[in-house]
Amino acid sequence: MKKTPITVRELVKSVTVDLRLKVVAGKNGLSRVINGSELHRPGLALTGFTKGFPEDRVQLVGDSESLYLTQLSQLERKEALERIFRDTTPCVVITGRNRVSIAMKRIANEKQIPILTSGKAASDVAFLLTNFLSACFAPSESIHGTLVDCYGTGLLFIGRASIGKSEIALDLVERGHRLIADDIVNLSLKPPDIVIGSGPEMLKHLIEIRGVGVINVREVFGVRAIRLQKRVETVVELSDWDDKEDYERIGLQDQYTKFLGIQIPMIRLPIYPGKNITVIAETIALNQHLKVYGFNAAKELNKRLLKNMETKNRIDNYLRWDNE
Amino acid sequence: MIKSEIRILNKLGLHARPASKLVKIISMSNSDVTLTKGGQRVNAKSILGVLLLQAECNSIVKLEIKGPDEDQLLQQITDLVNSKFGEE
Repeated sequence: MKKTPITVRELVKSVTVDLRLKVVAGKNGLSRVINGSELHRPGLALTGFTKGFPEDRVQLVGDSESLYLTQLSQLERKEALERIFRDTTPCVVITGRNRVSIAMKRIANEKQIPILTSGKAASDVAFLLTNFLSACFAPSESIHGTLVDCYGTGLLFIGRASIGKSEIALDLVERGHRLIADDIVNLSLKPPDIVIGSGPEMLKHLIEIRGVGVINVREVFGVRAIRLQKRVETVVELSDWDDKEDYERIGLQDQYTKFLGIQIPMIRLPIYPGKNITVIAETIALNQHLKVYGFNAAKELNKRLLKNMETKNRIDNYLRWDNE
Repeated sequence: MIKSEIRILNKLGLHARPASKLVKIISMSNSDVTLTKGGQRVNAKSILGVLLLQAECNSIVKLEIKGPDEDQLLQQITDLVNSKFGEE
């Protein structure tokens, strides 16, 4: 798991499309680092209460803060601003139609803390920024595997190198399913418990097939064969068939594995030549859907069985004491 | 070939969980095992077959084992059934 701090420059570049962020002052401070995903509304600090003020967070100045600032005298305003432009403050975001005063620009340039503006309302900015920052700071992990969207279920294939993960992915794509990533899958946590998988930008939708080489799935099969990201819903662990191994026969008990601390259902699938893993993978995906909808074939069978045996016992007992 | 009989002792009978335990130990051996109850004859390595027997508590299941490890396997099966599959 890693947590990468991002700079204000990266933030501005990444979210300009949604938020139309503009740097209006403090350009020299663009390489300041944002260390967390939480934002802060600095209203209280502006009015003078600075105890526990989280100065290292992105400060969001909305309508009420701006209105308060305009009511102050020049000196008071300078003092108020000094309370929120601190040494470790990464940046200050002004939302809506609020003006950036000259005093504010001056202090930003002096302290080299960027002021960003967005035309959007404070609540929208807060939502989009938090979303973006939580994604940046979400726990993530890169694993060796293949992720395919099969009938809408994210199937993550894992297993030793050259066991046939890429071939299964290719087969599934050929049958109309969609590839997310082959070989290297980046997993990231979307709170509270969703694991999202995607592929590294460089290797986007490439598959390596032994003996053939690298194939670009998007070019060969078209845009319908790919997908950018998908929630990992079921893990399929492929292994060589082993006579000694005890494989699941009924499926009454679900097995799980953990990625990023989240439990994900796992199926251990032994393979051998001639076994059609693709069709089995499709079946796993469909069966997973059924389980989500509340139908579990193994449980239904066992219920039927227990009921039959119980009825039979009752009738036998009745006949045993029927001495007429 | 050995022929024998087992009596199911656990209260709920040979339902899914005990059946998979039984099939598991039989599948690991190299012998062929056939179970018979009430005219129904099934291969003991097939889980669905074993469930089809619907062997309730106190019922008798006939057992035929044929293979290199038949004596050892019979002992294992008997032990498992007598232990009530770890149930009541």
